[in-house]
Amino acid sequence: MKKTVFAAFIAFWSSVGTLLALFALTPTVTLAEGETEYSLEDVAGHDSLEDCWMAIRGKVYNFTDYIPKHPAPPMVIEPWCGREATEGMTTKGYGRDHSPAAWESMGAYQVGILSSKP
Amino acid sequence: MRFTVNSSQAVVWLLALFPGVMAFGFLSAPDFDNPSAVLNTLGRLTGIWGMALLLIAAALCCRVPGFDRPFGGLTKLWKLHHRLGAVAFLLLLSHPLLLAFSAAGTSLSAAVGTLFSARPAVIWGWVALLALMIFMAPSFRFFGEPEYQRWKHLHRLAGITVVLGLVHTLLLSRTLPGVWGPAVWGLWAALAIGAIGYRWGFSRWHGRLPYRVVAIDRPARNVVELALEPQAQVLCYEPGQFVYLTPYDTQLPVGRGEEHPYTVSSAPDETGLRIAIKNLGDASRALQTVRLDSEVRIEGPYGCFFPSPDAPPEPELWIAGGIGITPFLSRLRHCARRGQVLRIHLIYCVQDETRVLFEEELAQLMAQLPESRVTLHFFYREGPLRGEFIEHACPDAARRSAYLCGPLPLIERASTALQALGVPQKRIVTEEFVLL
Repeated sequence: MKKTVFAAFIAFWSSVGTLLALFALTPTVTLAEGETEYSLEDVAGHDSLEDCWMAIRGKVYNFTDYIPKHPAPPMVIEPWCGREATEGMTTKGYGRDHSPAAWESMGAYQVGILSSKP
Repeated sequence: MRFTVNSSQAVVWLLALFPGVMAFGFLSAPDFDNPSAVLNTLGRLTGIWGMALLLIAAALCCRVPGFDRPFGGLTKLWKLHHRLGAVAFLLLLSHPLLLAFSAAGTSLSAAVGTLFSARPAVIWGWVALLALMIFMAPSFRFFGEPEYQRWKHLHRLAGITVVLGLVHTLLLSRTLPGVWGPAVWGLWAALAIGAIGYRWGFSRWHGRLPYRVVAIDRPARNVVELALEPQAQVLCYEPGQFVYLTPYDTQLPVGRGEEHPYTVSSAPDETGLRIAIKNLGDASRALQTVRLDSEVRIEGPYGCFFPSPDAPPEPELWIAGGIGITPFLSRLRHCARRGQVLRIHLIYCVQDETRVLFEEELAQLMAQLPESRVTLHFFYREGPLRGEFIEHACPDAARRSAYLCGPLPLIERASTALQALGVPQKRIVTEEFVLL
């Protein structure tokens, strides 16, 4: 048992170290310039589950294809379609933020950035 | 007895596994949708199981006298506690890694972000895990054999780890749905925190009985037998049980106020308590010079070496090594005082003739038991104890129940030899001197 526990202890720190090393060595991807700008009014036009856009932290996303994959039922997401939805991302369940993985996975659904103009 | 031990252990494992099994029941199809989701599910389950095992391991540390009996004694209970702790540690190490690997399905930065997030739940989780590593390291001899007192102090961090782990679990509030989360974790936490509270608070101030050293006998150069007289409540115990003794002699060079386990050598119906202590470490070495009339405190009794010491005499084989004679001495003294008959064969293993403890008294006690006899085994002459020696000394060993007490290597050797002679394992009772 002692050997197993010690081996697991070493394996744990090796795995954490490997993840960190890979992260440090991987070049960061720069975002393409000239992204399309959308106003909140544009976003508001996509306010249903069949056509669901959201503005979150200055970026605009089209989540229509993602809704069936979301762990929580669509009715939880529907009120946020066509709106500024940063609050929805940070207050799921009992007021908790979505996981870093969830934030990260949103990138695939980005269609543009939110226009600074009203 | 064996049935009780097995069922007690089964109940403990069921309690430890219950929250994870319950969480498993609440999983749905999307939790197994793709490799990333499966890793995430496993990450959450290992966290739940690890936490539950840690809480139940903590609950077992209460050391309430008598609570250890259904488990076959305190040493066996500690072994169960140790196994639970080890499995909890393995699960809790894999918990953050599985969650990070699951996020790696999205991107490497998401994996690192999962491991090192600034969210309070994650920070508390890391603090709990690091504290767990610090206190687990000496228990699993990561850096060699630990010094007993240092190990004991570090092991107290375990209590803090349990609380930190609970904070992490409650902040996530995602382990079990609805009221089940607070209900299950609340109950399991109450068990663990209650046990830790008993150990750190109640037992320290109310569980230790005051005694006074009234006589000191020296059966050998490196052994003392202390006669203790109760100052208030009298300790009730059975032959073969042990206690934790805390000396308060202000002139002790070391070990003042430190508790250590020692077997009681007196008969339970004597007015006082006698405890034989061999010079085996710093504290027991210091106790060789403890002064008459000094105060000691006694907590116990623990263990159940002889499951039913007053049962009708069955043929028994006793194997003692060195100071491991004490539980047998207690039973012999007990039976002599009560005029009870014993049918025993005692094989007493020592280095040489000068190391035989309580030789005269043993001879006198055994002389009163016509169906019993003693065989001395000298290491310098015979080498390590072998099956042939046991068979020659006690030809009907296979038909007897065996009781073994002494250093671990002797117990392991004797146990293997007895099984080879045909004694089933369930009829071999052992009491090892290990870190307690």
